[in-house]
Amino acid sequence: MKLYYFSEMPHHEFPDEEGDKYPSLRLEFPNRFFDREKAAANYQRYLTEYEFADQAGFAGLMINEHHSTPSCVNVGVNMTAAILARTTRRAKILLLGNILPIEDNPVRMAEQLAMADLISGGRVLSGFVRGVGVETWWSNSNPIHNRERFEECHDLILKCWTAPGPFRWEGRHYHFRHVNPWCLPLQKPHPPIWIPGTASPETALWAGRRGYTYVPFLVPFEIARELFDFYRQGAAEVGRTVTPDNLGFLICAVTAETKAKAVEAGRHFVWRMGPTLRAPVDWFAPVGMRSRAGSQFALRARPRSLASMSYEELLAEHFIVAGTPDEVIDRFARVQRELGVGHLLLEAQESRMDHPTTMRSIELMGAKVMPAVASL
Amino acid sequence: MRPREETISVGGIGVHTWVGGQGDPLLVLHGAGGYRGWTRWLDQVSERFTVWAPSHPGFGRSGDADWMEGVDDLARFYLWFIEVAGLGRPHVLGHSLGGWTAAEMATMSTGAIDRLVLVAPVGLKPETGEILDVFYYSPAQLMTMTVHDAKTVPEWQEIYGRPPSPEEIEIATRNREMAARLTWKPYMHNPRLPHFLPRVTNPTLIVWGREDRVVPIGCGEQYRRGLPNSKLTVLERCGHLPPIEQPDVFARLVLDFLGGDPRR
Repeated sequence: MKLYYFSEMPHHEFPDEEGDKYPSLRLEFPNRFFDREKAAANYQRYLTEYEFADQAGFAGLMINEHHSTPSCVNVGVNMTAAILARTTRRAKILLLGNILPIEDNPVRMAEQLAMADLISGGRVLSGFVRGVGVETWWSNSNPIHNRERFEECHDLILKCWTAPGPFRWEGRHYHFRHVNPWCLPLQKPHPPIWIPGTASPETALWAGRRGYTYVPFLVPFEIARELFDFYRQGAAEVGRTVTPDNLGFLICAVTAETKAKAVEAGRHFVWRMGPTLRAPVDWFAPVGMRSRAGSQFALRARPRSLASMSYEELLAEHFIVAGTPDEVIDRFARVQRELGVGHLLLEAQESRMDHPTTMRSIELMGAKVMPAVASL
Repeated sequence: MRPREETISVGGIGVHTWVGGQGDPLLVLHGAGGYRGWTRWLDQVSERFTVWAPSHPGFGRSGDADWMEGVDDLARFYLWFIEVAGLGRPHVLGHSLGGWTAAEMATMSTGAIDRLVLVAPVGLKPETGEILDVFYYSPAQLMTMTVHDAKTVPEWQEIYGRPPSPEEIEIATRNREMAARLTWKPYMHNPRLPHFLPRVTNPTLIVWGREDRVVPIGCGEQYRRGLPNSKLTVLERCGHLPPIEQPDVFARLVLDFLGGDPRR
């Protein structure tokens, strides 16, 4: 099982009591609380941590993108990919991912990803996501069209990578009369595509049909298994065999020399489970963004919100792993046994977890954990 | 008077329509919340007019229209509906989203309709203030934001007094989805509409609630300035739902404006 390093690049640089005054930290928490000096330093710090994760032997560096939220100030996943393409050497660069439904120019997206793939020497893993509702509000993109745009944007990007130009594209949501990108990915036919899942059976089926790597995020094991079943169903429809390499899982994880230190550091993950997800329901799931089936599955998938769980419960349920390297190895092995995944994505820094703690965790993961889980 | 139900097929879409009353035809176009039933004002107006109250495509129990992109599509659709239903040259009364639709219809075909009643219509970009982002708030929050004072709404109990059935919840979700499909961007307005309003010489009554928190009352003035043969009537202590909040006053205004043959 391969390990991936991930930081949301949080900007938890404001008094919590200020954030508590608003219905959510997303969309409406005023950006006067954005600290430019601290943000400038944090970007340097976060990139250093990614670079160290590359040196420590992580199989991949996962990056993502959100908007209008202090929980993640990585506002341009392709920008970060371009930087890491140049400053790292070995690890895959896992963009998980680009938010396709809010993208107005899939051709430029295809070009930018190709350029990152070229600069990185073919290390891009190109994740595509539907996004959470907040990004729909941020971009003023109609949630009714979310799935249609996701699929059409994907189709056009793939065509840019695989069909000889020039060609014309007249779709429902995208219209380009002269498509002929002079930047194509190094990997042939194109970078591997990854798809995250939280609650949508349709997405799991869709990814399964295409053989894309599918990664449920922070869901209970039984829900992940159900989503994997949808994935397998999609794969079976086209006669595709599913291997561990097709499946991943995302959890939060930190390690330290002592259990006490690790458990203390792990508390920082609670912020991303609670305060950063607090919002009126229509902000995360605006009208029409989810199908009826998706909405019903979401209700079952989250009988309890992550926000309502204590730190101890989050640890017990494997949403967070925090322990010595040996304890972490045991936990990861359990995840592998439960789910049979080939890729474990570690959200490995959060909230106000400091730089030394983060670096030490990366170092121990590389030196102690990775060799032990590599054979799982 | 109990109306009858019809499903009228227009362009392959079954349009669920309530038809009631007698007299010249009056086409009533509902707002984003959908058709609220045969409420008191409709009963009063149908004493002098034959009221045709369809649920828009994608709303209520009408068929889907996933291909529609905006209110101009809906307006063209209803011009077609008028022909298919054989309404001749009806008066058109539209509320909120329906008012915008009625205004678009008039700009497209002034001769297809007789008199216009626009009740707190969206459709124009407010010169001051903003149209409330109704998709940003939950239906429960909106219920109190749309009216000035729920306690003064005579039919509140009949309309909102009991928990909705599963079918009603499904319809409410559908209505919200179709409203989003039609109005998301530019939000609830057509930047080109004001340029066409001067074409509409049909006599037009614009009605607004003074306390409307959804659409700024200034939009009423903008419509009045844009429509050459219009007048604006403002109801005091009234929010975004004049037909529900002040049904008797509202029905009287409509009847006075449209005329019609008194039955007695």
